[in-house]
Amino acid sequence: MNPSLQNLGRWLYRRAENVLAAMLAAMFAAFLLQIVFRYLLNLPIGWTNEISVILWIWLVLWGAAFVVREEEEIRFDLFYASAPPRLRRIMFLIATASLIVLYAISFPAVLDFVTFMKVEKTAYLKIRFDWLFSIYIIFVVAVIVRYLWLSWQALFGKAPKAFDPTKAGSGV
Amino acid sequence: MNLASPFSISLVAITALAFLGLPIGHSMIAGSILYLLLAGLDMGTAAEQLLNGMYNNYIILAVPLFILAAELMNIGSMTERLLRFCDAVVGRFRGGLAHVNIVQSIIFAGMSGSAIADAAGTGKMMQMMMTKDGKYTPSYAAALTAATAVIGPIIPPSIPMVIYALVSDASIGYLFLGGVIPGLLMAASQMAIVAYQARRNNFPVEAPTPLRKLPGITWRAFPSLMMPVVLLGGIYTGVTTPTEAAAVAAAYALVISVVLYRSVSFADFYRSVLASARTTASIGMLIAGALVFNYVVTVENIPESIKAVLTSWDLSPGGFLVLVNILLLLLGCVLEGTTILLVVIPVLIPTAHALGIDMVHFGVMVVVNIMLGLVTPPYGLLLFIMTRIAEVPLKDIVRDVLPFLWAMIASLALITFFPELVLWLPRLLGYQG
Amino acid sequence: QDKPKLRFSAVFSEQDIRAEMMKMFAAAIKDDFVFEGYYGGNLFKQGTELVALQRGNLEMGNIAPQDISKQIPEWSIVTAAYLFRDAAHLKTFFASDLGAQMKKMTEDQLGVRVLGPTYFGARQIGLKPDKKITTPADMAGIKLRMPGGDAWQFLGTALGANPVAMAYAEVYTGLQTGAIDGQDNPLPNVENMKFYEVMSQIVLTSHLVGFDLLTVSKKVWDDMGAEKQAKFQAAADAAVEFSTQKHLAREKELVELFKSKGLKLYEPDIAAFRKYAQEKYLSSDFAKDWPAGMVDKINGL
Ligand code: NA
Ligand code: NA
Repeated sequence: MNPSLQNLGRWLYRRAENVLAAMLAAMFAAFLLQIVFRYLLNLPIGWTNEISVILWIWLVLWGAAFVVREEEEIRFDLFYASAPPRLRRIMFLIATASLIVLYAISFPAVLDFVTFMKVEKTAYLKIRFDWLFSIYIIFVVAVIVRYLWLSWQALFGKAPKAFDPTKAGSGV
Repeated sequence: MNLASPFSISLVAITALAFLGLPIGHSMIAGSILYLLLAGLDMGTAAEQLLNGMYNNYIILAVPLFILAAELMNIGSMTERLLRFCDAVVGRFRGGLAHVNIVQSIIFAGMSGSAIADAAGTGKMMQMMMTKDGKYTPSYAAALTAATAVIGPIIPPSIPMVIYALVSDASIGYLFLGGVIPGLLMAASQMAIVAYQARRNNFPVEAPTPLRKLPGITWRAFPSLMMPVVLLGGIYTGVTTPTEAAAVAAAYALVISVVLYRSVSFADFYRSVLASARTTASIGMLIAGALVFNYVVTVENIPESIKAVLTSWDLSPGGFLVLVNILLLLLGCVLEGTTILLVVIPVLIPTAHALGIDMVHFGVMVVVNIMLGLVTPPYGLLLFIMTRIAEVPLKDIVRDVLPFLWAMIASLALITFFPELVLWLPRLLGYQG
Repeated sequence: QDKPKLRFSAVFSEQDIRAEMMKMFAAAIKDDFVFEGYYGGNLFKQGTELVALQRGNLEMGNIAPQDISKQIPEWSIVTAAYLFRDAAHLKTFFASDLGAQMKKMTEDQLGVRVLGPTYFGARQIGLKPDKKITTPADMAGIKLRMPGGDAWQFLGTALGANPVAMAYAEVYTGLQTGAIDGQDNPLPNVENMKFYEVMSQIVLTSHLVGFDLLTVSKKVWDDMGAEKQAKFQAAADAAVEFSTQKHLAREKELVELFKSKGLKLYEPDIAAFRKYAQEKYLSSDFAKDWPAGMVDKINGL
């Protein structure tokens, strides 16, 4: 690939990481603010709750779309890890093809739901729900593009990477 | 069940996609979309359930914050100071470092909610200490670290308990309290095994730390040792909700590392936040997938059907719990823990309710099962992590982990048949169940 | 031919009186429809049922008026404190021309037909501190848990309290630890959630007549034809009346039960509370959306 394109890709990836980290930091700050206001100043504020939940949705879908790498995703890799590279390629292609087809088929209905949500606003910050939920549309498009790209690589480039348990974030 | 029904097809599709290696969250979302398509329902429901589900589950925010707290603890010198403290206290016994490993896990358990984070955070250092000069075999050290990390989310705080609270509506505060005695019980059973092995295999003794040095070492570890007090104290005095307590834990870890230990740069902080955010996104995808699949399960009335079948067997509550234990231990051998909590447990809860089983008792028992699943082969995340860290074959770790596994299963049996072990402490602090 | 399916979703549990109400309703329409009830918010989360109805993913729902007012601001009038005096007043309103006017809005703007109000008890203030409450001034500084959202928080202010948003599931522990001083819920909820164990008194303010709306999608309604419509509405009326009476009886029982548990239950100066709350509401932004003169007309019913 063109090296300057590659550099641009890396630069964009770093910015996506910045955004992701900023969202978690903001959620953390909102919580601290809430505790301070409620217990130290006896001034309960509701919008911190709301902003935290919004950040949670955006953080997960943004992260899944742009930041989390294949080897970090939680998966059941008993067969996948022990498969020889050629078989792994085939397994990967079947799985991603199904994913792309199903996400694409659902896309019009999903878009319809998200745009319908313009009728409601959040309780405190009065953010319209179609804007709030638009991250799901971004997520679906990004996932389809991402897996098309990875399928292309699996077909013509290197075999897909095995999963790395030390990087997987299952949380348990 | 009709094998060509939309539900059966979607279940097969989810399993097949997961076996093919697709991330589990995506597998569940894609399989659920297939169900909606085949059943002629609105496919927009996939987005509706995922988004509204995530928007309406405020308590789940404890998960990213506990993950952040664990990350922040691992960047400071907290870990090192705690290890030195543990060594000073129990290093002098036969098999000293093995006991250090256990005690260190108990203390970590009181600060962090994730076994994976505990093992990944302390595993490397513990492995180095234990295998230096050939004191212990690498596979034994790795097996012990994996087994002791299991205690992490049983003793509060606990991410799996937060997830269980999400699916069961049980109180996080009481679940946390319910885990204290079972966690200590499991640690005690591990110490018994180590003591026995130490005598039989003549494990080494560490040079005893002079008693006059103990106060200084304790003092240096003190702020970290206070973490559980701050955390649980906050919850039970009403200063914070359990979700906010997670934020307090993270803030406390940050303040200690920055102010007292002065070991954290901004770059360290950024790396920790980013790492936590990555983990959050990946566990969040599991939750998202489970939320969508849960709609399918509800439309199909699966929990009620299972309840009908199980009640027709006329099980006693005890019989049901034994059945659940066996089922979860078997599932734990092949499935990832969060997935079991999010997908399997919800279908069992109505039956547990109907049999009059206490939801806090059930929850602690379930979480212990899920944690054991992390060290049961062939699929056990803690085993995989320690294989990487110790660079020893999986089968050697499995061999060395077995005695601990049996001991922990024995503890699980006690917890199952004596609900008091779980419920005594919550009741002492006001639990009415 | 196949009978049309009616998917119904509600937040209340399967053990609730209102689930009994739905069983009664289902039995009355079983010749024309297949009723599928989902309870405990298992199918659609609280507050998301209305959109599910609008989008054809539900045929029936038990919708909070607060949710309707998100899309039709005029509806916020029926969520105001001290608007309805009691369950009978509520019933009279929905049977009146004023009620018809409100119902027409949901049909025209949301495609949702309101069958009737499902009463679930008057909201009362339950407190942990032993302080005697007579007027709104006595509520000053009291940390009163209210549901999240500015409309609910405003209600707390209209009672003279210091409102705190907290998840319903956390309220028991919150009272126990003193994170909050009180909560406002109908008596049956106080019993279900065992709040009475951690409170010393219940001030019978009856500040809000708690009700949801039994609704059916307009499409289903229009498709069934006049004859079935009459039968359907009659079934709903009977079931709603049954549930209302049962709730009223339960509330009476609970007053005695809580007294026997050692709690103090008494009426404050309700006129003072009503005056304070109605003034707060009328001078707030909420009242700007209310149909002109409606409050007076409702007061006069
Ligand atoms: Na823990
Ligand atoms: Na350990």
